[in-house]
Amino acid sequence: MSATLSPARSAPGPSPDAAPLIRMAGVGKTYHAAGGATVRALDGVDLDIADGAFVSVVGPSGCGKSTLLRMLAGLDRCEEGSLRLGGRDVRGPSGEVGVVFQAANLLPWMTVRENIRLPLRVGGRHAPAEARIDALLEVTGLADFGARYPYELSGGMQQRAGICRALVRDPRILLMDEPFGALDALTRERMNAELQRIWQTSGKTVLLITHSISEAIFLADQVVVMSPRPGRVLRVLEVPIPRPRSFDSIVSHPAYAGLAREIRALLTEPGDAP
Amino acid sequence: MSATALPAARTRRTELPSGIIAGGGLIVLLGLWEAAVHLWHLPGYILPDPAAVWRALWSGIAVSPASPLGWYRPLWGTFRNAALGFFIGSAVGLAAGSAMAESRTVERLLMPYAFALQCLPKVAIAPLIVIWFGFGDGSKIAIAALLALFPVMINSFTGLRAVEPERIDLMRALSASRIETYRLVKLPNAAPYIFAGLDMAVVYALLGTIVAEFLGAQEGMGVVITQAESVTDVAGVFAALIILGALGMALHGLVRALERRVVHWADRGKH
Repeated sequence: MSATLSPARSAPGPSPDAAPLIRMAGVGKTYHAAGGATVRALDGVDLDIADGAFVSVVGPSGCGKSTLLRMLAGLDRCEEGSLRLGGRDVRGPSGEVGVVFQAANLLPWMTVRENIRLPLRVGGRHAPAEARIDALLEVTGLADFGARYPYELSGGMQQRAGICRALVRDPRILLMDEPFGALDALTRERMNAELQRIWQTSGKTVLLITHSISEAIFLADQVVVMSPRPGRVLRVLEVPIPRPRSFDSIVSHPAYAGLAREIRALLTEPGDAP
Repeated sequence: MSATALPAARTRRTELPSGIIAGGGLIVLLGLWEAAVHLWHLPGYILPDPAAVWRALWSGIAVSPASPLGWYRPLWGTFRNAALGFFIGSAVGLAAGSAMAESRTVERLLMPYAFALQCLPKVAIAPLIVIWFGFGDGSKIAIAALLALFPVMINSFTGLRAVEPERIDLMRALSASRIETYRLVKLPNAAPYIFAGLDMAVVYALLGTIVAEFLGAQEGMGVVITQAESVTDVAGVFAALIILGALGMALHGLVRALERRVVHWADRGKH
């Protein structure tokens, strides 16, 4: 089934010698509120993401990590610094990027299949790709649910459909903004394992924003830790745990506890602790 | 099978008492009515007894549909004009509401007038419309359309603006055009609002048609009422009102049934 998706990579993970797929240099963002007040959301963000990498971004609420993702998706303009994607400046939404939203964001008046087909119907695209939709439904375990409506699905299944929708245009980059935040802990772990599998079969570059330290470590090649507002990159931590990972094996891996402790320490730097 | 049959049986059991209560209320009302007529010796031209109203009602039902004495021909005339007015008014209302929702300029242009016209008792414009459109079907349709327009316009405007920002983000991230976003997201998103407007509009269209018929018409339920009034056939007026009430409820039910089919997803585990 995965044959109709992008060719599977034999060795998942970033290739260090290749030029980065995403390059952020000095990216800043200031929001102007209606009353004339300004909010500095991001400040001097430098970050390179290699092609095929899985990168998690963790940071306190309001640190601008969603802003960063919105800029990459072309939803917010990058007015400060440079934001390049595949060697080109990001000027607006592009087919290179698929976005997975918080709480799935499926359209309730469309069936699961129609929701997944949506990206192929708009933006000047009229490519019937039923075989591709079938393959995606198969990979995400939704093969029997294509004709259902979102309200007939569990939260986890809805988010899987959201991932299918983000993948259907075959983008190089998948941006995920706390996609599993609304799910219960067990469903969330299962979704993490599935996302790892989907990532390994599809070969996409993934940028995942999350509040969960364990989710960040479990999925990522690198964990980017951001500071409170204005958001800066505090540190980029490599996750040297071999794949495929499982939650059972990862917590007993010697590197795990140290990484988790380091991330937690960075997130609760003195002065930011509640 | 049993899983689906069970909840249905449960709803029926809870709905049955409400039917009994409404039916019981009707019987009590009819009893009081009958008692009042006999107690105070009210003449038929003030308040006819229920039996007289029933006879008037039945005399119009138990005839051939083509008969000029039956309810069928005036009812059809009123229904046809109200339906046409409803469709025209709703279409114009949806178009105007959409234009206002999509363009701030159009909103600023139309909104003050929309509210000014909304505050004006539109029935008062009816004589003017009769002057412009004549005593034929045109004036009936025009007044029905005018009354149907406003609830649809305001509701579609509100509904189209009420779309969740995440859904707009989704369409923007897909580089969707404005028309695609309107058609695939905003319009279905506004459907519950639009149907609430249509629900009002269908009753207003009927009201508008009757008012226009009062002012002058060859055929229609309004004509039946004015004719019955002119010969103090109060039982006939009552019967006509019952017919009109039934028509109004049938149209309302039709819109609700359509709504349940189209907006089947509303209020079901929103995410």
